Amino acid sequence: MTKVAARRSPARLVIALSVAAALAVFVLYTSIAGAGTPQIQPSDLPHHAGQVLLVGKVVSTSGDAHSHGGMRFVLRDVSHGSPARATVVYHGSVPDPYRIGREVVVTGKLRNDVFVANTDSLTTKCPSKYAPAKSKT
Amino acid sequence: MPALGRAALLLSFGLVLYALVAGSYAAWRRRRRLALSAQNALLASFLTTAIAAGILWAALARRDFSFVYVSQHISHSLPLGYALSAFWGGQEGSLLLWLLILSGYAALAVWLNRGTRELMAWVVPVLAGVAGFFAFMLCFVSSPFDTAPAPADGAGMVPSLQNPYMLAHPPLLYLGYVGLTIPFAFAMGALLSRRTDERWIVATRRWTLTAWTFLGVGQLLGAHWAYVEIGWGGYYAWDPVENAALMPWLAATAFLHSVMIQEKRGMLKVWNMVLVALAFCLSIFGTFLTRSGVVSSIHSFSQSPIGGWFLGFIVVCVVFSVALIYLRLPILRARTKLESLVSREATFLYNNLLLVAFCLTILWGVTYPLLTQALRGETRSVSKPYYDFFLHSFGLPLLLLMGIGPLVAWRRASIRALSRMFLIPFGVAAATGVALVAAGFGSSPPGLLAYTFSAFVLASIVLEFVRGRRATGSVVRLIGRNRRRYGGYLVHAAIVLLAIGIAGSSSYQTVREHALRQGQSMEIAGYTLTYNGLGSKQEANALATRATVDVSRGHSHVATLHPGKNTYPVEKTTSNEVSIYHDPRNLGDVFLIADQIDPNGTLYLKALVKPLVNLIWAAGFLFVFGALVALWPDAVEQRRLAERYASGAVAA
Repeated sequence: MTKVAARRSPARLVIALSVAAALAVFVLYTSIAGAGTPQIQPSDLPHHAGQVLLVGKVVSTSGDAHSHGGMRFVLRDVSHGSPARATVVYHGSVPDPYRIGREVVVTGKLRNDVFVANTDSLTTKCPSKYAPAKSKT
Repeated sequence: MPALGRAALLLSFGLVLYALVAGSYAAWRRRRRLALSAQNALLASFLTTAIAAGILWAALARRDFSFVYVSQHISHSLPLGYALSAFWGGQEGSLLLWLLILSGYAALAVWLNRGTRELMAWVVPVLAGVAGFFAFMLCFVSSPFDTAPAPADGAGMVPSLQNPYMLAHPPLLYLGYVGLTIPFAFAMGALLSRRTDERWIVATRRWTLTAWTFLGVGQLLGAHWAYVEIGWGGYYAWDPVENAALMPWLAATAFLHSVMIQEKRGMLKVWNMVLVALAFCLSIFGTFLTRSGVVSSIHSFSQSPIGGWFLGFIVVCVVFSVALIYLRLPILRARTKLESLVSREATFLYNNLLLVAFCLTILWGVTYPLLTQALRGETRSVSKPYYDFFLHSFGLPLLLLMGIGPLVAWRRASIRALSRMFLIPFGVAAATGVALVAAGFGSSPPGLLAYTFSAFVLASIVLEFVRGRRATGSVVRLIGRNRRRYGGYLVHAAIVLLAIGIAGSSSYQTVREHALRQGQSMEIAGYTLTYNGLGSKQEANALATRATVDVSRGHSHVATLHPGKNTYPVEKTTSNEVSIYHDPRNLGDVFLIADQIDPNGTLYLKALVKPLVNLIWAAGFLFVFGALVALWPDAVEQRRLAERYASGAVAA
């Protein structure tokens, strides 16, 4: 009986073993390499001590990202409503679409109330439209 | 004109709705004339959709800013080619392009398969159902024909989209995405009509291959666009929007391989149904991702309410497919069973599992922020290390299997036959590995493995051609006798070139950045880069500022490059304009980015040397050539199929 069953199901065995192997690799990865980086907005920043992805809209910007002091910019939450602001210090490449009002993502961690961004980690979302909300007729 | 456009779209919606309802009833009650009428409605919907598309294109060409869509996406100064490409630059136009391609494909599929009545009777309502969703969206949710008082000038186009690649990349991707609807419709049609033999696979093989080729080429073009236009020195960033195109391509790749097992051995019928449904649902999921804004992406298109509609449609498609496959399980039993774990069908099965596992891990990565937000109340995301890990874990074994699979016999392979087959490829791979370690390429184990496995696969492909040539006397005759097989080998060779290019340009690239004043130089990977001045030139719609950088190797001057920036007054933005030297010596690039240009003329120059990167683009040409060989009509195969399915012709 067992012999017959074994002969009838090598494909199932292969699938089961492969799925199990893939799951094992996956579990191993997520347990060893960590389970992602928190993605937060300025209002959530005080609650996170480690490395995070900070998403926000640029309120103001000054300085030079290639200078020793770096570029400093202030971010607010993407959706209006929160008064929270985060000051970011950044060094490295600045994407072309970067400017006040643009939504950006930057990786780094909070140190003494200033978000110190990883070098070259700034990305700017590419909008497909520049015009405000359309009015239909 | 906008009213005519709206009317044409409403007519399209009415026609596909009729094709859905009347077609379903006709298939259910076996009413042949009504089924024909539904087919004709589907054919007519292509015409009405083409009229709507023509109106939008005409409005873009005439810069008719009374169309909201036109005023939001182009300006007077935008060259005509880019103005026409704005058709797929925004949400409403993209949806219209989707419907246009889908109705065109559907009309062609109906026309080519009008002999297979029973199967087509159910295929038509499935196609109409999908087309109906897009027509509904265009008529009632997101219309490209909304009007407003015309402004003096339009908002213009995002500078990075003002690139020749944008003329071809999105339509090719859409041809691929939408093309996956046809095999899905045939698969569901086969289940609904209870004709689950290999006929639906034969009827859709070329459709799947065509969609898969378009999707592959579209992605490669997108990668090249990112490489030459975006100005960060890379070509793929594992961004959700990029992954959205990769996932259905991987599922379709698995499907293209597993259908061969069903054709040859009558196995994996359920698996093939699952794969074709997965590829289709992932193509819809890709649109949901790009258009809903639910996942953070550098490509983020403006957030819009259509995301919810797409999510609902995906749920409907998944539930419909799963329920139908479940209900038809009794007639999806395999004719034969896997006889040995060392056989060609077994290697194809391994290949399928790896492809699907890779596809699902990407899906997991893309949806991870949504899942963590739902389960933990905190959005977390995974990035490049996560994807790279799985690329190495699944991609490298896949590469190896590409060399093993075609050489293993169907049903069962003996150890003696295997040793004979693999002696030369194994020897070539071992010699390559040793030579690479000796040459110092051991610094990147994944890179070293990729090169070694690539040598193995290339050797096995060459061996197959040599053996075949011995038997037939000429390579042309060899390919002509089995286009599908040798076209497949050419595509495999293209994937190997792609793997070598990716391994070389990512594992062994060099990056340097320096602030240079005029006359100063920097060194990188054996090249000397000398900054020799700055100039500006007014172009049609931008002010172009360019640095002059001389590139020399040793004491020889090899090129003068001009990295810089364009300033667009209408769009009120600037863009990086990279400059690239293609080095024929190592098939790599010297890639220069003017990261920042100070008012005093100081240039912050970022330089990348990317060995073998040009193999990636060369792979694209070989990929298309191989796919065309496999797609080319084969009279012998047609005769064989006609004999097998004597009861009804199929347009394969």
